[in-house]
Amino acid sequence: MSLKTLTRDWEPMSYGFLDASAKRELRRKMLKAVAVPGCQMPYASREVPMARGWGTGGLQVSLTLINPKTCVKVIDQGADDSVNAASIRSFLAKVSGAPTTLDTLKADLIQSRHRIPEEVLREDQVLVLQVPNPEPLRSVQPNMSIARQMHADADYGRMWLQLYEQIVRSGRIMQGASYPSMVNGRHVMTPSPIPRWDVPKLNMAKHLTILSAGREKRIFAVPPYTRVEPLVFDDVPYKVEDHAKLTCNRSGARGFFMNEIPQEDGSSTHEISDSEYGVKAIRRTEGDDIVLGDTWYKNGEMSS
Amino acid sequence: MLTVPTATATETRANHTFEALLWALSRPGMPRDIASDAEAAIIDALIDRECKVYCADPVLMPLILKTGAFLSDPTTADHAFLGKLIDVNVLESLRAGSDLYPDDGATVVANAQIGTGQLLRLSGPGVDGSLQINIDGLPQGFWAKRADCLRYPMGFDIFLIDGARVIGLPRSTQIEVL
Repeated sequence: MSLKTLTRDWEPMSYGFLDASAKRELRRKMLKAVAVPGCQMPYASREVPMARGWGTGGLQVSLTLINPKTCVKVIDQGADDSVNAASIRSFLAKVSGAPTTLDTLKADLIQSRHRIPEEVLREDQVLVLQVPNPEPLRSVQPNMSIARQMHADADYGRMWLQLYEQIVRSGRIMQGASYPSMVNGRHVMTPSPIPRWDVPKLNMAKHLTILSAGREKRIFAVPPYTRVEPLVFDDVPYKVEDHAKLTCNRSGARGFFMNEIPQEDGSSTHEISDSEYGVKAIRRTEGDDIVLGDTWYKNGEMSS
Repeated sequence: MLTVPTATATETRANHTFEALLWALSRPGMPRDIASDAEAAIIDALIDRECKVYCADPVLMPLILKTGAFLSDPTTADHAFLGKLIDVNVLESLRAGSDLYPDDGATVVANAQIGTGQLLRLSGPGVDGSLQINIDGLPQGFWAKRADCLRYPMGFDIFLIDGARVIGLPRSTQIEVL
């Protein structure tokens, strides 16, 4: 054995920014996360040239999975063109040479903050969600060691109590985003701050979802065909946002998750949150040859 | 101006291997193509000096030594390369993690033949309904022993290698011997 066999050639930067040992650690943890769906696995969370809390967890997963043929889409609150999404997308392309896309149907890897695209994801696609707070129990148990013990014991009584209190105080469940969900009947996870609208899309989905919190150094996953059930009481059904009858005033798309745009006269209009779906809908009405994929929601109803 | 880094052969191989492993583990029982020297590729993609490895296959030993991993016995190893398995009792001693830290459970790599032999029915996360698969080349009582050793979420995750194909069997998969 010579020194030559133990070293590698000098490179100005590792492919995909992360060094080989960081990638190996992430790979090992991602495999464990898939093996125990919904269970938070601690990982090292390396430095990336972006502030913690701006998608560093999702970025590290994407950097590990990426290769020069991976077509990448990055969204932030449904939009491809927000600063955070555009910066992450250009960074991923710069350090990997991977092609980028805005079209959900053409993407192999979708990194997202706070939304799941409206078009149904396929078996060969991977969804990476950025997670600010991976611990669903934090609001009821701030001590993370005790929270870990509660996960080990499947002791989720306080989660139910929290939902019950919301109903008693407000007449309905107030939890808007990060709705606590039971994965594979065992671990309660936070599905990241996606709206209630998006949680049913994870249940028995065809694609693999990896959720990664860079600041909190936890990673968890929802494999394909895995039960993801929002915590609900038998007599209080799960309700998604009341957007089924809203129409996007730019694209005319109807029955999808909308952003509310306040107007000067105090009223409001709505715009579709999945921006590229809106763009595609507009281009199609203008006569372009555009394929709109099958959507999870049809006429505002989740199709199971 | 930053030039785009190019993927080296080592990086490309590790990336492809991991993609195969992740795909196989998230779709239990569905074979996926991997490098023809599958075990060596897995060692390159996953193992480094942070790992404790148990290796029963002398052919793989030089590769593992080269990664700088600690060699250990099955009770403390986080990765176990069992080669061709003869005695099922090794499963008992494998690390299964704890309810607090299920990620401490071992990753097991063993050889088997896919498509012949014992008929199994798989169900659980990653399987659309249920799936039937034939697996041969494992000692008698392997599946019963696996079921005895797993207490979800504690347990170990198995990769079975057949030439250039791999199937993943995470601890979350229920396996019924038909």
